[in-house]
Amino acid sequence: MTSTDTPAEAVRTVGLRKAFRARGGTVDAVRGIDLTVAAGQVFGFLGPNGAGKTTTLRILTTLLDADGGEAFVAGASVRTQSAEVRRRIGYVGQLGGADLSATGRENLLLQGRLYAMSAARVREHAEELISVLDLGGFADRIARSYSGGQRRRLEVALGIMNQPRVLFLDEPTTGLDPQNRANLWDQLRGLRDAGTTVFLTTHYLEEADLLSDRLAIIDHGAIIAEGTPAELKRRYSADVLTLTPRLPDPDLPALARRLAGQPFVTAASADGTDVRLAVADATGAMAAVFAALQADGVEVIAASLAQPSLDDVFLRETGRSLRDTDAGSARDQPEPPAATDARAAALP
Amino acid sequence: MTFALQTWLFFRRKLLEALRQPVWIFTGLSTPLLYLALFEPLLKSLAGGAGFPHGTVLDVFVPGILTLMAFGAGMGAGWVVIWEIDSGVTERLRVTPASRLALLLGTVLRDIVMFAVPALVVVLVAIPFGFDAHWGGLVLLLALLAMLTASASATSSALGIGLRQIGSLAAVVTGTQLPLTLLAGILLPLSVGPVWLRVLGHVNPMYYAVQAARDLAAGQVVTATVGAGFAVMAALAALALWWGTRSYRRAMS
Repeated sequence: MTSTDTPAEAVRTVGLRKAFRARGGTVDAVRGIDLTVAAGQVFGFLGPNGAGKTTTLRILTTLLDADGGEAFVAGASVRTQSAEVRRRIGYVGQLGGADLSATGRENLLLQGRLYAMSAARVREHAEELISVLDLGGFADRIARSYSGGQRRRLEVALGIMNQPRVLFLDEPTTGLDPQNRANLWDQLRGLRDAGTTVFLTTHYLEEADLLSDRLAIIDHGAIIAEGTPAELKRRYSADVLTLTPRLPDPDLPALARRLAGQPFVTAASADGTDVRLAVADATGAMAAVFAALQADGVEVIAASLAQPSLDDVFLRETGRSLRDTDAGSARDQPEPPAATDARAAALP
Repeated sequence: MTFALQTWLFFRRKLLEALRQPVWIFTGLSTPLLYLALFEPLLKSLAGGAGFPHGTVLDVFVPGILTLMAFGAGMGAGWVVIWEIDSGVTERLRVTPASRLALLLGTVLRDIVMFAVPALVVVLVAIPFGFDAHWGGLVLLLALLAMLTASASATSSALGIGLRQIGSLAAVVTGTQLPLTLLAGILLPLSVGPVWLRVLGHVNPMYYAVQAARDLAAGQVVTATVGAGFAVMAALAALALWWGTRSYRRAMS
């Protein structure tokens, strides 16, 4: 491998497309994705279930052929140089992938040798990973007996056994408790600091926000926003004003529409029992909004001012809250009925 | 070189998996021994009659039992394949540069060992009861039936990948097992049956394996039947390995 094989871009896709046949027609899972991920960062791929995250990831990891477009990973074409891509990447799938009938160490040793590393080098590297990922206490036990957190650590170790340039993880913290989740975040940051590009999918807003250096938000197979978490939120608004009105028969959408017309308010939406307002100037907006509420005789039982979240960004782009769309199957497979309904609802 | 190493690594992994579940080894051995103990006495009264040209009943029956064992050792492969797809193991291995044929062969070779070792035990147990062992023929017989195990194992894996459901796989495998074994003349030679049954037997690849196995067990190594048995089994094994490899190569979305 020459130095020209180490591009500044870890991932580049151009017009990536994939459709699945499903009952009653085809589902466009990925609809023309253009993506560039610079090397050496944690890149988050945020979206609701069924948005096309996993399909994109499976194309990038050579598990699935795209219908159209091009994808390059670690400098090699996914379509024409899949063997080269496989040598350069690591992958931690949603299903895990540890061989539960073998010990953790046996899993690691086999994985390493599949990448044509010498037996001695593999033993040494497995030992390093056992120490770094803190697998020492259970590495020689059959993996079936592991707890969820232990198993996930083994699976991450399997994903980096070949010292990949790009590590792909599909919903890596799903099912983990908060402490294990925080530990995994630290480990992924550590990998990034050591030079590995980390590309992960998530439907957790907090994870995308706190872990990613950059992120793309995907919905219905297309990217709807991309940037650093701070950029995306700043692009949305300066602040978010959340109001909980006390109404006998709360027509929150109507209230949101009315407040959207107030000075300094850039967007408004109903969210559960609240109305969320994107405001350009907090002081000015509050004065106008509370005056309008008073004029209407609407009593407010709670109000708060906060920085916008990624959910506000998602809400503005799609008209839906990512929290609401979370309910669904854990696997990011094409879900024709749900996806179609949601799309129909989002259209004007 | 890399391919041979990967095949060895996958074989070792599969063998270890089997050895950690002694119940498999126990049932693999107890079923043929039960056939010998409980079915052979029934056949005794048929000795010397039609369809039993070679000496004792066991000389006809043991090759049949060995064929049944060869098929049985391979046909379960698909269950584990489905389990490995569901737990993500297959997906993880497919993202490595590992050869898909090596991945398939790991299971196939393990199944061949799981056939050959109990097969030897059955032969050794049958000898004191009157089985006339011809060692040269027996070695070739095991080689022939190893190809049957390979065919069954690779086919079962391919079916497992294609069907993805334990229930569907079980229906297909058990649904084909009975006609295949009955039409192969495994327990009773087809030559005792009517013409239509014998004609039907000729479209069953396992029939050729059983016929060749009987010749080989009798020490008749250079016969047209043996030649046909090896030709049919080699072709079947090649086809099954091709199908299994192709199944692993294709996307399982």
